[in-house]
Amino acid sequence: MKHLLTTALVASFALAAPFAPTSAQAEEINVVMFGMPYTRGLQKLAGDFEEKTGIKANIDVIGQDVFENRITLSFTGRSGDIDVVHAPVIQVQRWVQANWLKPITAEVDAMPVKGDLMAGPLDAYRIDGEQFAVPFMAATGLMTYREDVLEAAGVGVPQTWAEMLEIAPKVTDGDQSAIALRAVPGQGFNMFIFPMIMRAYGGKFFADYTGGDLTPAINSPETLEALNVYSKLINDHAPQGAGNFNFAEVNAAAQNGQIVFAVEGTGVAAQIVDPEKNQYADVTGLALPPGGPAGRSPAIAVHGLGIPASAQNVAASAKFIEWAVSTETVTKIALSEPFANFTTQPVAENAEVIAKYAAIHPDFLQVQADALNLAIGHYRPLLPEWPSLGAAIGENINAAVNGLITPEEALENAEQEMRDILGQ
Amino acid sequence: MTLTSTKRLGATYELQRGYRRMIYPAVIAVGIFAIVPLAGMFALAFSDYHLLRGTNWQFGFKNFARLLSDQRLMNSIYVMSILSFFGVATQVIIGTAVAVGLQKIVGRWRFGRILFLVPYAVPHVAVALIWLSLFTPTLSPINAFFDLFGITVPSFLTTQGGAMFAIVMADTWTNFPFAMLIILAALQGISPDLDEAAAIDGATRVKTFFFITLPLLMPALLMVTLFRFIDSLKHFPMIFVITKGGPGRSTQATNFYAYVQTFQNSNVAYGAAIAVTLFLMAALISFYVARLNQRVSQ
Amino acid sequence: MIDKSPEYRFKKALGVSMMLLLVAFAALPTLWALILSVRSPSAVFEPIWESPLALTLENFFNITRSDFPKALLNSFITAGSATVLAMIIGVPAGFALAKSRVSGKFIASWVLLLLRMAPPVGFVIPLFLLYVNAGLIDTYLGLIVAYMTLTLPLVVWSMWNSFAQVPDELIEAALMDDATLTQAFLLIVLPAARPGAVAAAILAFLVAWNDFFFSLIITRSSTTTAPVAVMNFISFDSVDWASIAVASIALTLPILPLMAIANRYIVQSLSGAVKG
Repeated sequence: MKHLLTTALVASFALAAPFAPTSAQAEEINVVMFGMPYTRGLQKLAGDFEEKTGIKANIDVIGQDVFENRITLSFTGRSGDIDVVHAPVIQVQRWVQANWLKPITAEVDAMPVKGDLMAGPLDAYRIDGEQFAVPFMAATGLMTYREDVLEAAGVGVPQTWAEMLEIAPKVTDGDQSAIALRAVPGQGFNMFIFPMIMRAYGGKFFADYTGGDLTPAINSPETLEALNVYSKLINDHAPQGAGNFNFAEVNAAAQNGQIVFAVEGTGVAAQIVDPEKNQYADVTGLALPPGGPAGRSPAIAVHGLGIPASAQNVAASAKFIEWAVSTETVTKIALSEPFANFTTQPVAENAEVIAKYAAIHPDFLQVQADALNLAIGHYRPLLPEWPSLGAAIGENINAAVNGLITPEEALENAEQEMRDILGQ
Repeated sequence: MTLTSTKRLGATYELQRGYRRMIYPAVIAVGIFAIVPLAGMFALAFSDYHLLRGTNWQFGFKNFARLLSDQRLMNSIYVMSILSFFGVATQVIIGTAVAVGLQKIVGRWRFGRILFLVPYAVPHVAVALIWLSLFTPTLSPINAFFDLFGITVPSFLTTQGGAMFAIVMADTWTNFPFAMLIILAALQGISPDLDEAAAIDGATRVKTFFFITLPLLMPALLMVTLFRFIDSLKHFPMIFVITKGGPGRSTQATNFYAYVQTFQNSNVAYGAAIAVTLFLMAALISFYVARLNQRVSQ
Repeated sequence: MIDKSPEYRFKKALGVSMMLLLVAFAALPTLWALILSVRSPSAVFEPIWESPLALTLENFFNITRSDFPKALLNSFITAGSATVLAMIIGVPAGFALAKSRVSGKFIASWVLLLLRMAPPVGFVIPLFLLYVNAGLIDTYLGLIVAYMTLTLPLVVWSMWNSFAQVPDELIEAALMDDATLTQAFLLIVLPAARPGAVAAAILAFLVAWNDFFFSLIITRSSTTTAPVAVMNFISFDSVDWASIAVASIALTLPILPLMAIANRYIVQSLSGAVKG
C-alpha cells in the first residue's frame, strides 16, 4: 500500500540517526570569516597551519550578510560550532555585552606576536581590562582624485570639505560629476562616511564620550552644518541617483570615470588606484580625506579574530589566531592579495611588500599610515548599542539627504532615537 | 459532508478511511518541523528576550502594548500593503497575459515560452542585484541607451515612490512566471470547444475571454494570488539589496522591520511580536481566501 | 476563422506588440546578466557599444574554482529530494482533499497555508534551536525536511485544484468496477491529472531551488545551496558582479531542460491527448 509506504518513509526519516554536524574535534577547528582580501588569502593558507600544528582548520569565508545572520544564531544557540570568529571592532562591544565572546587576555599575553601588533587596533579590543580579540586589519577612510581633471581645471587637492564644495563645480563637466559618497542607510554604509564630515566640523555623537558622559549630542549646529555639506555634495555634485549609492556604486562610478573624487575605505580606494582594476588608475591620486575647522578625522574600521564563548578548544583556537596574525602569514597574504591595511607592524618593513604597493600607487602605504595616525579609535562610538544607534542615525541622515525630511528634523529625530535606544 | 453526497460517490466507511490515510502523511511530515518553530515564535513574542539587556523570562503582553503605539510599525504595514498589492496585481496580470498569449502560439515558436520561465530560476539575491544596477543611473544600460538620444531617465531609488516601484518591478520580474505557469496549466483544463461555441455564437474574443475563460480560470487565479500574496508579505531580499529600507525608512516593510528589531536592535522578543502580528494578519486574510477557494473548487 | 478585415489586423498587431513588450520585459534583464557574465572586470559597467570587445570567458573559469559548483550540486540534491517526497506525500493528499467528504479538510488546508506564511524572522531562532538539538544543522536531511514545509503545501494545493477538475463519475465508474481507491487513484485519476502534476512538481522544485532563508539558517560550509553561495560574492569592499551573473546563469541553465519536459506535457494537452 502506497500510503503506508510513504508513512514509513517519513517515519524513517524522522527517526534516522542524523548525520553528526561537523563538530570540532581536538585536531580540527572551524573558522568563520566574511569575504575580504585578507580572509580569502588566509583561506588559501590553511594547509600551512595544519602542517605547522597538526590542527586542521576549516576556514569558511562567506558573504557579510550571511555571516551576520549565522553568527547571531550560532551565538544565541550556543551551538559551539565555531572556534574562531571574524570580529569587527564595531560589533565586539555588543557581543561582549551579550556574553558571546570569551575573554582571551591570558592567551594573547602569551603570544610572542603581541609585541608586533599595532597598539591602537589591539587596544580597541580591550574592554574592561580584558582582551577579546586580536586585530588583523585596520581600514581607514581615504580620498582618491583624478590628477588629470584637477590639473585641467587648475585646482589643487582639497584639504577641507569647504574647499571640496568650492572645487566641485569647477571639475564638473557634462557626464562627469565631482564626487561620490556612500549614502545608503546603515552603520557600515553612510555611517562609515558621514562622521568624517561631522567630526571635521566639530560635531559629535555624545556630550563627552571619552569623559563617560553618554548624553546624545548629535543635534548640534556643527553636525547640522556637516549634514548640509554632505547633502549638498550628494545632491548637487554627485552623479544622478547618488542618494542610494553604496560602496559598490561609488567604486563603479570611479572606474567608469564618472567622478573626480571618491572618499572611501582602504579596500575600495585600493581598487580605484589599482591599474589592473581601473583604467584611470594611472591618473588617479591618493590623499587623506578632507578635514575642517575641527581638524581631520579619517574613518577607521578595525577587524580581528576572537573566540566564541561556546568554543570547545580554546588552546587550538588561540594557536590559530597567533598563526593568522603572525608576521610570516600576514606577509604572505600582503603579497598574494590586495591587502595593505594589515596591523602586524613588521610586515610594513618588508621590502617586497613595500615594492608591491609602491607599484600600485607610490603614495599608498604612506597615505594609509598617515590616515591611521589621525584616526581616533572611537570614530564610531564603541558601544554595545552602536549597531542600532548607527542604523537609526543613518536612516535619518539618508532621509534628510533625499529630501524626505529637513536636516533639522533628521538630527532632532536621531537624537531622540539615540535616547530611546540607550534607555535615557 | 452531507450524506447524499457520500452516497453519490458510493463511499463506504472503508473509502473514507482510505482518503484519510492519504492525508495523514502530509500532516505529519510538516507538523513537527513547522509547528515547533511557530510555537517558539509565539513564546518569544510574549517574552522579554533581549540579547543585550538581559532576559528574565517574564512573559506578558508588554511587546504587544508597545506595538500599538509604534509609528514605525504602522509605516511598515503601509509600505508592505503597497508593495504587496501592486506587486501581486502586476504579477497576476502579466502572468495571465503571457499565459493567454502563449496559448495562442503554436508551431516552432512554442519553445519561446521557456524564455518567460528563466526569470523564475534566478536567485532573488541576483535578481535584486541585477535590478539594482538597472535602477542606478550611472550603471544602468537603460540610462546609457537613452543618454545617446539626450534623454535623461530619472533616478528611482532616491524617492519613496520610485524605490517602491523598483522593488515591485524586480519582484514582478522574478515571480510573474509562477502565475504564468499555473494559469497556463489551468487554461489547458478548459475545453477549446467552449471558445469555439462562443465564437459561433458571435462573441468577440474579448467577451469570450472575460465571460467564458476568466470565470473558469477563477480557481487558478485565486490560488496564484493567494500564494503570491502570502509570499509577498515576507518581502525581504529585494528590499535588503535594492534599497536597504531607504530612502530614510520609507521602504521598510513589516518583515524588514522585524529583522531590524531582531538582528540590529537585539530585541528578539519585540521582533517576534512583530512577526506574530504579521502572521495573524496573514492568517486572517488566508482564512477568507481559503474559504473562497473551498467554495470555488466545489 | 479567416478574417482579414483591417479591424482584425489592427487587433492582431496590438496583440503581437503587447506580446513583444512582455518578451522585452522578461528577456532584457536576462540579456543584461548574460552581458555582465562575459564582460572583463574593468568594463563591467561600460555601455556595451563603447567597448564591444572587452569580453572574456575568465569569469566562467573563475567560478569553477570557487565553492559554487558544490553549492549547485547541494541545491540539486536538496530541492530534488524535497520535490520527490512532496509529490509522493502531497499528490494523494491533494486527491483526498478534492474528492473525499472527510470532515476538517478545510482546517487541514488552512493549516497547510499557515505553515507557508509564517515570517521567517520570527521563527528563525526557535527553528535554529530545534535543528541544533536534533543535530540537523548542516545536513542534507535537515534541509530537505525544511524544504518540504515549502513544497508540500504547494503540491497539495495545486493538486487539489487539478483533481477538482477530474469528474467524479470517473472515480465512481472505477469503483463500480471493483477497483480499490488506490487503484482508481493511480490508474484512472492520476493520468487524467498528469499535466497538473507535472506543473506542480516543477513549481515545487523551483520553490525549493529558489529558497534562500532556510539555507541561510540551517546550512554551514558543507551543504550550502547555490542561492546563499551567490550572496558570498558580495564581500566587505567589493561586489563581484561578473561572478554573480555567471552564477545566475549556472542556476538557470539546469532549469531549462525541466521546462522543456513541462512543455511537452503542455503540448500533449493542447493537442487533445489529455483532457480533464
